[in-house]
Amino acid sequence: MNNDLQTNRLRRRLIAGGASALASAGLGMLSRSAFAQTTGELPFANGKRNLVAYPEKRPLIVLTSRPPQLETPFEVFNDGLITPNDAFFVRYHNAGIPTSIDGDKHVIKIGGNAAGKPYELTLAQLRTEFKSVEMVAVNQCSGNSRGFFSPRVTGGQLANGAMGNARWVGVPLKDVLARAELKNTAREVTFNGLDIALFGGGDFVKSIQVNHAMDGEAMLAYQMNGAEIPLLNGYPVKLIVPGYYGTYWVKHLSEIEVVDSSFEGFWMKPAYRVPDNDCACVEPGTTPAATRPIGRFNVRSFITSMQDGAQLRAGQQAVVRGIAFDGGQGVREVAYSTDAGQSWRGAKLGADMGRYSFREFTFGFTPDKGAHDLRVRAWNRSGQSQPMEALWQPAGYMRNVVESVKVTAV
Amino acid sequence: MNHKAVFTAGALALVLTGFGASTHALAGSKSIDLPPDGVQLKPSTLPGYAKAQAICAACHSAEYMQYQPATAPRPYWDAMAKRMQVVFKAPIADEDIPLIVEYLTKTYGNEQPK
Repeated sequence: MNNDLQTNRLRRRLIAGGASALASAGLGMLSRSAFAQTTGELPFANGKRNLVAYPEKRPLIVLTSRPPQLETPFEVFNDGLITPNDAFFVRYHNAGIPTSIDGDKHVIKIGGNAAGKPYELTLAQLRTEFKSVEMVAVNQCSGNSRGFFSPRVTGGQLANGAMGNARWVGVPLKDVLARAELKNTAREVTFNGLDIALFGGGDFVKSIQVNHAMDGEAMLAYQMNGAEIPLLNGYPVKLIVPGYYGTYWVKHLSEIEVVDSSFEGFWMKPAYRVPDNDCACVEPGTTPAATRPIGRFNVRSFITSMQDGAQLRAGQQAVVRGIAFDGGQGVREVAYSTDAGQSWRGAKLGADMGRYSFREFTFGFTPDKGAHDLRVRAWNRSGQSQPMEALWQPAGYMRNVVESVKVTAV
Repeated sequence: MNHKAVFTAGALALVLTGFGASTHALAGSKSIDLPPDGVQLKPSTLPGYAKAQAICAACHSAEYMQYQPATAPRPYWDAMAKRMQVVFKAPIADEDIPLIVEYLTKTYGNEQPK
């Protein structure tokens, strides 16, 4: 694709949802630097961003340069249900990221005080000594869409592009753990990667309950969409925790510990916690009385084929397309409204690629002349859905409101 | 399009792809060079500016500050500076924290000049 075309596509999608605000502010224009950098505007205040092509990546929205945090331009989600490796979002926590990794020499240490037989596993052994499995699963950042919170909350100001759906190949975590002969005192399993905190505090280590680790779904992946995992996504091996927020998907996985106590490092407590109630929400501006570690995704759905502010031809049928997903029950139904939620009909679901994957939906829409407010709302197989009004929590995680796409037919 | 051609796994997401990896090549290696920072700290006459350049920017780029909502109040910037010192062991002298917080609140937070 030629550069100008790509730039224009990125820009178009970047400003999706904020077209009117942008037009009035005169923003959203492009500029170039010596690094062939472009800029765009996300649809919330202070949303100007650079787009830069990092190694193994196409130009992505730069949330932070160092360490790299990159958001996928939303238009990518209309290109297919699998998010290409070069468009997949990137999220690091500490600046000490590995920039050179010899996959053939990579070793994963498995130990901890509840591992009966600690051992070390080379990547070659992981590939050859265990049965491999394949799974399509969405990874989504806990703070995806944080920039849309109202009132605003601090933290990484993301639009809706900190998510992606990929085909992962690897080895079930339970098989790797079984070889370490867990003691019956085992309570949690912790995961560490090659990335480090520059001054030694706050290393990025995550934990899950041992029952979860042994559920057969969590996976040590060494392949993503048929290729090596991009370095910035965790080469050469990444923990996949299907249905759970990306914070648990530890990159450059190098150390697994089975422990007999609750692990409470900074990134488990106080970071990455949500209000400990059914909605994981509180009254805007208030502090939760109790918190728990963030867990599974809630239900989300997005129109991908049409942007906020789009113009359609009146009387001509448009096929509206989008994606829906949840934390692993699988999407049962997607409803759509073309009148701002007053009436609803069922959208047609596309192929089922597994209950952790994006699920495509489509519906036909023949607009009368005038303004239309399109909404989509998904339900999973447990009957969970999306709120019509956005929920709020101070950390800005788990946004899943029914989205609105306003279009005009002329 | 990718999703038209993919295998449909139904409700079960796990699919065996066979034993071992005799067909897989070795992992090889990867090396990358990262682009320079895309955003710099905003210049200011406040003494905290030079401190932030020397201390904050040693570990991370300036988008962390610049992209926060302009509503971010002084206690937020104070909590972040102290988190860097206490949690991440960033070498920040106690007496520099008020200077840095003053600069951040007035440059990026809710005490920016209107």
